[in-house]
Amino acid sequence: MTGPLLQVRDLTLSLPDRSRGKLFAKPPMTDILRGISLDLPRGESLGIVGESGSGKTSLGRTLVRLYQPTSGQILFDGADITTLDEGAMRTHRKHMQMIFQDPQSSLNPRRRVGEIVAQPVLALGVERDRRAALKRADLALDRAGLGHAFARRYPHELSGGQRQRVGIARAIATEPRLIVADEIVSGLDVSTQAQILALLNDLKQDMGLSLIFISHDLSVVRVLADRVMVMLGGRVVEEGTSADVFQGPRHAYTRQLIDAVPLPVIEPGWLDTKPATEGTRMVDIKGQTVLVTGTSRGIGRVFVDALLAAGAARVYAATRDGSGSHSDARVVAVKLDVTNSADISTAAQTCADTTVLINNAGINFNSKLLETDQVDAAAAEITTNYLGTLNMCRAFAPVIEGNGGGAIVNMASILARVNLPLMGSLCASKAAVYSMTQGIRAELASKGIAVFAVLPGAVDTDMTKDFPPPKAAPADIVAEVLAGIQAGEADIYAGDMAKGVSGGLAADRPAVIAEMAGYV
Amino acid sequence: MSAILDIRDLRVTLRRGGHLVRDVSLSVNAGEVHGLVGESGAGKTMIARAVLGILPDAVKVSGGKIGFRGDDLLQLAPKRFRALLGREIALIPQDPLTGLNPARRISAQMTDMLRHHLGQSRQEARANALRLLQEVQIRDAGQVLDRYPHELSGGMRQRVLIAIAFSAEPSLIVADEPTTALDVTVQKQILRLIRQMQERHGTAVLFVTHDLGVVAKVCHQVTVLHTGQVVEQGGIAEIMSTGAAPFTRALMGATPRYDQPADALHPVPAHIHRELLAAARRFDEANP
Repeated sequence: MTGPLLQVRDLTLSLPDRSRGKLFAKPPMTDILRGISLDLPRGESLGIVGESGSGKTSLGRTLVRLYQPTSGQILFDGADITTLDEGAMRTHRKHMQMIFQDPQSSLNPRRRVGEIVAQPVLALGVERDRRAALKRADLALDRAGLGHAFARRYPHELSGGQRQRVGIARAIATEPRLIVADEIVSGLDVSTQAQILALLNDLKQDMGLSLIFISHDLSVVRVLADRVMVMLGGRVVEEGTSADVFQGPRHAYTRQLIDAVPLPVIEPGWLDTKPATEGTRMVDIKGQTVLVTGTSRGIGRVFVDALLAAGAARVYAATRDGSGSHSDARVVAVKLDVTNSADISTAAQTCADTTVLINNAGINFNSKLLETDQVDAAAAEITTNYLGTLNMCRAFAPVIEGNGGGAIVNMASILARVNLPLMGSLCASKAAVYSMTQGIRAELASKGIAVFAVLPGAVDTDMTKDFPPPKAAPADIVAEVLAGIQAGEADIYAGDMAKGVSGGLAADRPAVIAEMAGYV
Repeated sequence: MSAILDIRDLRVTLRRGGHLVRDVSLSVNAGEVHGLVGESGAGKTMIARAVLGILPDAVKVSGGKIGFRGDDLLQLAPKRFRALLGREIALIPQDPLTGLNPARRISAQMTDMLRHHLGQSRQEARANALRLLQEVQIRDAGQVLDRYPHELSGGMRQRVLIAIAFSAEPSLIVADEPTTALDVTVQKQILRLIRQMQERHGTAVLFVTHDLGVVAKVCHQVTVLHTGQVVEQGGIAEIMSTGAAPFTRALMGATPRYDQPADALHPVPAHIHRELLAAARRFDEANP
């Protein structure tokens, strides 16, 4: 038989989340795997890396059908095993084995090693006779480098490395074609770990095994994997040969993972490089496709050039009328009025490769809260600043998620945190943006989308010409925003005024509020 | 510069006979991170536990001294020794969940130390706890104070434990594999935090780890242990150099690296591995 041993298409898995939901009520479902596809050729090894919660362990278990996938397809050796029941799976089980992380808890303490290794041989009908099964177990123990004398021992008499060899012997005793190994060296010493890795490599060659090797440890994966998949939030963010992914990672998250691995070499300043703030991921602008709204003037226009300088692959420069041209071919003009839902859904289709969304468009009537206008300023500000930003997030979160994750940047204002009485309705709309941003940040974290709130002080643009100084230059604000995104700062206070107000609120909130009220 | 911790010829043995730690000497100066490295059974955790006075029942110190700022900890009256723990000598444990009491709020666990060891009032202690959480870069420190441990992520819990360890301004901190249970990106943040805090407070740190990569990034001085004995001791540059002791180089060669192809990995020689297994078995007896 030719063709890949394992073919997986659009695999999804949803499980009930018992940490949420009410007592006695059916717990809500949560997506664990989102559209995973992979091919595993015969005799090849695939490494799956990711941090806790990435879905790597669930993927391994779903591939050998310990979990029933919610949708998608798994072809093993050409046979569709996606929905087979346990009885029908039995004929495939002997060809696909799993080795677990903790050999201590997966080995029955009351059985001798020989019986433990022979158990799947009998249970899966590889041998019917107990004697013959024990003979196979002896052979497997020899192959696993323990020697068949170990068949008489009990698990508690063994060291951690020896127990893991028993786990390997049990997995190879049925002569499988595929082994899924989940974190099998993580509890072991370096010296033992190196031996187990060497053993697996030998077995792979000698038995022509295909191997799926799951680990949080990138260095360990490099030893065994021909190809590597990097997972985040139930998705694959990057896939390629080991050498390519580890030497030239393309996705920002992969780079972040690699940068965090301490190699045994002296590297002054390593600890201080690119500190990621807990909770928000750093996002590298380089290579991203960025959509910026409101680029006809002010900060929006400056963003376009700064993004190009930071190495963005493409910039969708959105304006209300779709006008504007740029000398750089990477800039694409887009017609997008954020208050127009038809515009938004069209943009979500035409800009379908977007990975970073910068919600910059906003308006500002400088009106008092209790004053009524011909055009109600408060309603207009809420419609553009708040609902416009929210609807863009709604439309583009699935787009960005589908592209393997990225970032959403919402331009609020320092006025989101303190109200200036003479322009109270603007402040209220910005506070709504800020509050909404915090809400979607939590919701989108698991989808690989980092969400940033930008809270600048007064900026020197034609929209603020009536403002008193000091006003920051747009270019400085934009530079601070991009630096904050790349450093993973969740709330970016851009400019001295914003930092001053934020510091003041932390130290003496009533004093700042009193000072602002003084502007009346 | 005088040493904060000065261990001389320390011997730890099983009560029924058998060496676990043999004639180990090392000293840690103020403001210095001293790495204690080795495989399981090397004796690194036993040494750390001897310093903290928490050896298992099956084990005793059978020789040597543990000098701490002029005193020998092994000769100190139990009452005086207990007064030092937490206040002068603090621990950052391996598992951030078991290091905290699951049934008590963070505020209660942080203010205990400040109130009982340093005699602060309730209000003072809470204000100081808040300041400490801010110092370990926890956002919304005020809210975190009122949470229970299970409501925090692993990285946050480890930050809280670091804040507690530094709360009484101890002169020595024992960090026992403090990042082993964490994701790699969180590990880097925690390593960085430990170094920042230690530099700012001039604290001596005895850093126990099996990971040569972590050693290379955070330690100034290193002691490499094998079967309870020191095989090599010196500055980090020496240990990481090609002139290091054969055992150190064997460990280095067996450490996988994402930046090197598979054939660069060399399992340790068989005789070293046999010694490692024998030592690990002795330690299993010490921790039944």
